[in-house]
Amino acid sequence: MRYLAMPSKPVLFTAAALIAAGVIFGVIFWLTSRANDTTTFALLHTGKTIAENGRDGQPACVQCHGGNGEGNRAMGAPRLAGMPAGYLEKQLHDFARNPLKAGVTLDPIAHDYNKTPKIQVDLTALTPGVRRVDAMNAISATLNAQEVKAVAFYFSSLGYNFTAIPSDPETLARGEDLALRGKPEYGIPACASCHGADGKGYGNHFPPIAGQAPEYIVQQLNQWQTGARDNDQMALMRNIAEQLTDGDKINVAAYFANIAVSSTGGVSSP
Amino acid sequence: MNSFSKSVILSAVSILCTLHVAKAEKLGGELDSLEVRPTLVKPQLSLPTKLTEVHVASPGEFFVPPNVADIPNDKYGDMVRMGREIFVNTQISAGRYVGNALNCQSCHLQEGRKPYAMPIWGAFGMYPMFRNKTRSVVTYEQRIQDCFRFSLNGIPPSVDSPEMQALVAYSHWLSRGAPIGVELPGRSLPGLMRTEDPSPQRGEIVYTTRCAMCHGELGLGKKTADGTQYAFPPLWGPDSFNKGAGIFRVRTAAQYIKANMPLGQGFTISDQEALDVAAYIWIQDRPKDPRVGYILDFLLPRTGAP
Repeated sequence: MRYLAMPSKPVLFTAAALIAAGVIFGVIFWLTSRANDTTTFALLHTGKTIAENGRDGQPACVQCHGGNGEGNRAMGAPRLAGMPAGYLEKQLHDFARNPLKAGVTLDPIAHDYNKTPKIQVDLTALTPGVRRVDAMNAISATLNAQEVKAVAFYFSSLGYNFTAIPSDPETLARGEDLALRGKPEYGIPACASCHGADGKGYGNHFPPIAGQAPEYIVQQLNQWQTGARDNDQMALMRNIAEQLTDGDKINVAAYFANIAVSSTGGVSSP
Repeated sequence: MNSFSKSVILSAVSILCTLHVAKAEKLGGELDSLEVRPTLVKPQLSLPTKLTEVHVASPGEFFVPPNVADIPNDKYGDMVRMGREIFVNTQISAGRYVGNALNCQSCHLQEGRKPYAMPIWGAFGMYPMFRNKTRSVVTYEQRIQDCFRFSLNGIPPSVDSPEMQALVAYSHWLSRGAPIGVELPGRSLPGLMRTEDPSPQRGEIVYTTRCAMCHGELGLGKKTADGTQYAFPPLWGPDSFNKGAGIFRVRTAAQYIKANMPLGQGFTISDQEALDVAAYIWIQDRPKDPRVGYILDFLLPRTGAP
């Protein structure tokens, strides 16, 4: 009798322990998911409040970027709706950093290879990066990290509808050539290799290009060249932008602005 | 050991397993772009070994293939367009021959145009050629078949298949104006300088800091939003090239990495770093060499971190 009863006990204990562990972790996961839901609502609410009212007397986001974050082509304000939250968050942090002193002028980087040899990448000197736009520098400085996260999350959850901006066929063909094939002999990779064949972007590092006004894209490329914008990962975009001609910028911006994109919006976990 | 202590140990193990899984999920995601952290690379690793030998892009040096808009509008042009479509989108257009998730232009960058990324215009005029790999003279079609067999881990298309004919037509069109039998500048891959022995340990640091952002921390690539294809190709794992591919060789991979990676920043990492990261990629698991049978593959020494 004793011999027969022996094996059943450890099995029972083990089963009980496993079930108990399962129940405990189930409860923990349930609580975590509930916490995520409440975080989502709180973030959306905070983000919307800041986007519509601004903070500390600074102008509200919607004044320039539009009530639904659709952007304002005339003012040069980019579309924010549907952009990846992580990307927007990083940009706001970089705007707020702005270590450049007032009155500093940045000369364009010379394209003479004797002056700028390709020994620019120094991994020991990776800076967090800056973006210099006076209005945004002032606005971003008033937000704390949690508010930045909320605003970014709010705009990333909005839907948008971007109608294609027509251009002449030759510009589009040249833009397509650069977007899909780059300039191999110069070492310029194709835009599509990171930003996607349709310019929809990939992840937080590679923002969408399609759905932005062409003027904004040209302006950004100019800022990469002058150094007013310098907040990319591993200087990927800076190295590319430095080699683009003015014609390249216009062509490729026209090509991506010629793609109609839309989204119904939606909330993903923050 | 009594039953109570056994059950305690078992429950502890199960809890630890759960914690471990949760931790792995957290770590498995992409790099956090917002986190500002010091680089792990030692300063001396990122300095070029000889400053005077750093490559400077000089576009006039290289052959420039014709523009896609200039493909003629005739039967030949149709064949070229089909070949280009296969080259760019091999997964869809020649999917029946492909056994992994790569396209031709995953390696032959920018539709086979990029110098020092095994450009098609540099190869087409060199065939038929004697290859050490097969110890025989191979034609261009046979060379493409080897690409399908090893780098695409699939089944080689026959020489008279429409896919093969289209690829040859595309290569022919891309090489228009290039001389036959001349080793053009930018052909194949650049050479490497003499270095120390490659070290996967140092390679892991280079991989984490410079490659993981696109290829993923686990090296398995990153899929597009719909999950059907890869936005950034896998470097190892079941969807990558197999152990018979040319780029499986550490030296070849190092040459490729040196000239082309990260995208748009070719020739910015040192030869030593390129070799190290190639060694780190080499020790990972991937499909077996199709020339080796399953039994021999099982008996051969494993690659993998010690």
